Amino acid sequence: MQPQELNATTTAAAHTTMLPLVLIPATLFALLLYVLFTVALPWTFSSPWIPSLGIDFRVQVDGLAAQFLLLITGIGTLVFVYGAGYLKGDPKRMRVFVLLLLFMAAMIGAVISDHLIVLFVFWELTSVLSFLLVGTHHEEESNRKSAQQALLVTGLGGLFLLAGFILLSEIGGTYSIQQLIARTATLPDDARLPAALALIFVGAFTKSAQFPFHFWLPNAMAAPTPVSAYLHSATLVKLGIYLLARLDAAFSDLPFWEVTLVSVGTLTAVGAAIQTVRERDLKRILAWSTVATLGTLTMLVGLPGNGAALAVATLFFAHALYKAPLFFVAGNLDHGAGTRIIDQLTGMRRYMPWTAAAALLAAFSMAGLPLSFGFVAKDALTIAKAEADVFMLVSYATVFVSGVSVAVAAIAAIHIFWGRDTIPREVHPHEAPLNMLLPPLVLVALALVFGLAPTLVDPLLGAAAHAIAPGFDTAAVDAAYDAGPVITATLSALVLGIGIYLGWDRLHALLDRVRVFDNVGPESWYWRKLKFLPRLAAWQTRRLQHGLLPRYLLVLVGSVTLAMLALLWIAQPVWIWPAWHTLTWPVAAACVLIASAAIATLFMRDHLVLLLVSGLVGYGSAILFLFTGAPDLAFTQFAVETVYVVVAAAVLVMLRRGGPLPNAAQPEARLRPFALAVALAFGAMLTALVLYTAGLPFDAALSDFFGAQSLSAAHGRNVVNVIIVDFRGIDTLGEISVLLFALLAALPLLRLAHAARGRVT
Amino acid sequence: MIWAVALALGIVIAAGTYLALSRDVLRCLIGLALMGSGVNLLLFAAGRLVTHVPPIILDGETLLGAAANPLPQALVLTAIVIGFALLCFSLVLAVRLMLTTGTHDTSQLRTAEPAPTDDHKPALEDVR
Repeated sequence: MQPQELNATTTAAAHTTMLPLVLIPATLFALLLYVLFTVALPWTFSSPWIPSLGIDFRVQVDGLAAQFLLLITGIGTLVFVYGAGYLKGDPKRMRVFVLLLLFMAAMIGAVISDHLIVLFVFWELTSVLSFLLVGTHHEEESNRKSAQQALLVTGLGGLFLLAGFILLSEIGGTYSIQQLIARTATLPDDARLPAALALIFVGAFTKSAQFPFHFWLPNAMAAPTPVSAYLHSATLVKLGIYLLARLDAAFSDLPFWEVTLVSVGTLTAVGAAIQTVRERDLKRILAWSTVATLGTLTMLVGLPGNGAALAVATLFFAHALYKAPLFFVAGNLDHGAGTRIIDQLTGMRRYMPWTAAAALLAAFSMAGLPLSFGFVAKDALTIAKAEADVFMLVSYATVFVSGVSVAVAAIAAIHIFWGRDTIPREVHPHEAPLNMLLPPLVLVALALVFGLAPTLVDPLLGAAAHAIAPGFDTAAVDAAYDAGPVITATLSALVLGIGIYLGWDRLHALLDRVRVFDNVGPESWYWRKLKFLPRLAAWQTRRLQHGLLPRYLLVLVGSVTLAMLALLWIAQPVWIWPAWHTLTWPVAAACVLIASAAIATLFMRDHLVLLLVSGLVGYGSAILFLFTGAPDLAFTQFAVETVYVVVAAAVLVMLRRGGPLPNAAQPEARLRPFALAVALAFGAMLTALVLYTAGLPFDAALSDFFGAQSLSAAHGRNVVNVIIVDFRGIDTLGEISVLLFALLAALPLLRLAHAARGRVT
Repeated sequence: MIWAVALALGIVIAAGTYLALSRDVLRCLIGLALMGSGVNLLLFAAGRLVTHVPPIILDGETLLGAAANPLPQALVLTAIVIGFALLCFSLVLAVRLMLTTGTHDTSQLRTAEPAPTDDHKPALEDVR
């Protein structure tokens, strides 16, 4: 009975739907829309967070942030609806949804914060959550590696970003992004600025999968499809571009800024477009085309001018509206037909008509055909290029990337869904449920509406463009509008795209054979380094943690000696050697006894003799104390030394009864010269220290205080005793406790030892 | 006077260090004890050695006259007793260790940190 009951409850749990969670992003989205319509941008809010470090939780929502918030909550709502269907029955879906909610919160935090450090904290949170989400099905090794790669690349980039932020705030004198932008005029004079920007570039490029850090994004497709649609297309990967766009208002006039962003963006876009054709998995094709779009966005942020700002805002929006539905389509195919490999997918229109409709409309926008919102974006892109007067090479590159986009759109919409299904299948493909159809259809419908009436989103895009370029003026962009280049660009991309689509298989076969993509380049470098790291760690651990006590001690004492030598060398103190007083003969005798007994210990082989000889050092000290005005010390030392020698001798004799102990072992033969050198250096160093101290003027303030207060305040004539029992009474109490605890701990050990010896004999 | 004491304590600490660097647990402990004695002498000498008069206020006086410095004496007194407790306890520990493991050679005590073996491969060796 019991296992069945258990089974019943787990089945019930498996059917619990995650749909109610949709309310959270949906409410946020509705609230955001309402506030957007009622309260004018920008909204600001500030409250101290870590006042001691000058970190405020400063919130600033302008057009750019508002656009991101709409995407985060809007696409988030649809992803939650979709995920409830896609992950139905998946035992890990609760984890995925909780992580997605956390991720949404982190994204919102990242785009609204005006404080660089706060932004960084949220930025790193998104990296960590991305790691957890990519590794959802961590039972498979490839997923673990993909998750690790995403974390290592974006996490390391985050460290660069933090360094860049700190440097930038040192230059600008503030952590507030808005204040930095306001102080732009004085910033470019600082010689450290290129270094700060380079560090920030590394952070942004790793996050937004720009060359040479692009390779993690296609591998991150190991995540469940709703995660890919949300993080790795619409939100997370755009965070890097968001940061660059955010800082564009401050630095767009710097040549360094423009050259880096335009060249890296173009290189990424072209490289990713080529890689797109090398893939057969629809999701990876979409991932590479996302990298290409991110490259185009980076390039656009780098371009100066109002048109570029508008193009960035428009492409952000358009890309989210067509790429997310295409990811949903890929998920539906996976769900309904059991594969995402494009060779095994044709004529799916018959089985999945609604998915086919969504794919067609999304592809329409992706290809940038007239009357779609993608066309509006392409429009803005062309204007931006014309205004900024870019190199011809960059211009050609954009056309090539657009052409590949058209081809990918055709693959997703035509190749998969039209034509005849000639492939034999075991499972009959079926249409996805309603909650997996609604999200892509809603998005493509929106794209269609905005494509037909772009004026609907004009205020939003204008506000975002204004945040990117403060001098943004819609009228100027409208005035610069020229239909000629737009038509040329659209037509050439279309022709090129159809060409690539028709020759896709041949191109794929050709590029697939070019191994240089796999064996040379940043990704193979990453794997080589990753293999090297554990080896380095193992080697280092073996060197440092060898488990040999004498070597540890040698390193310890040697380091202390070296540190003291270094200190001496740095401080260069003036040595005043103390005067050579005549020795009284008892002191001389004590010193000779101490030194000779210490030297003699080195030659004693027998433990018992060694112990007795070492006791002589204590007796020598006692004699020394007696004749240098410290009779209390002398008596204590005599007593302690005697008791110690008796106790130790008794223990040794007890040990010997179980059989003779082997001869005392010297330091390892190999270690002996080092041990001798370190011991001599350490001893010489301390001798020198004492002599140096003796040469310094003596500060008798404390001794005089005790001498003066001893009788009047504590009513005692023996000053040493008074100090111990009165002035430092609490210390003495602690000392007595230590003695007591040592005894308490030693007793059971001794008893155990006794019992163990009984067993042995 | 300070020269003689400084030389003696340097020798004691050097000898103690050398003993502490051996593999034998008992020699190691005795070495540490010697180092402790040396450091006590160092503390004592740092308070200057100028007289053999103990720091005791004579009858009929209220202030300490020309006598040895009482402060380092008080500190060293505490150190001697604490060092004694430490040594007795570590001696018992060492005895227990030797009876349990049957050796007093630290290079053979490898339970906590086993010796590295060459055929050991790090977990990530076969990445990709």
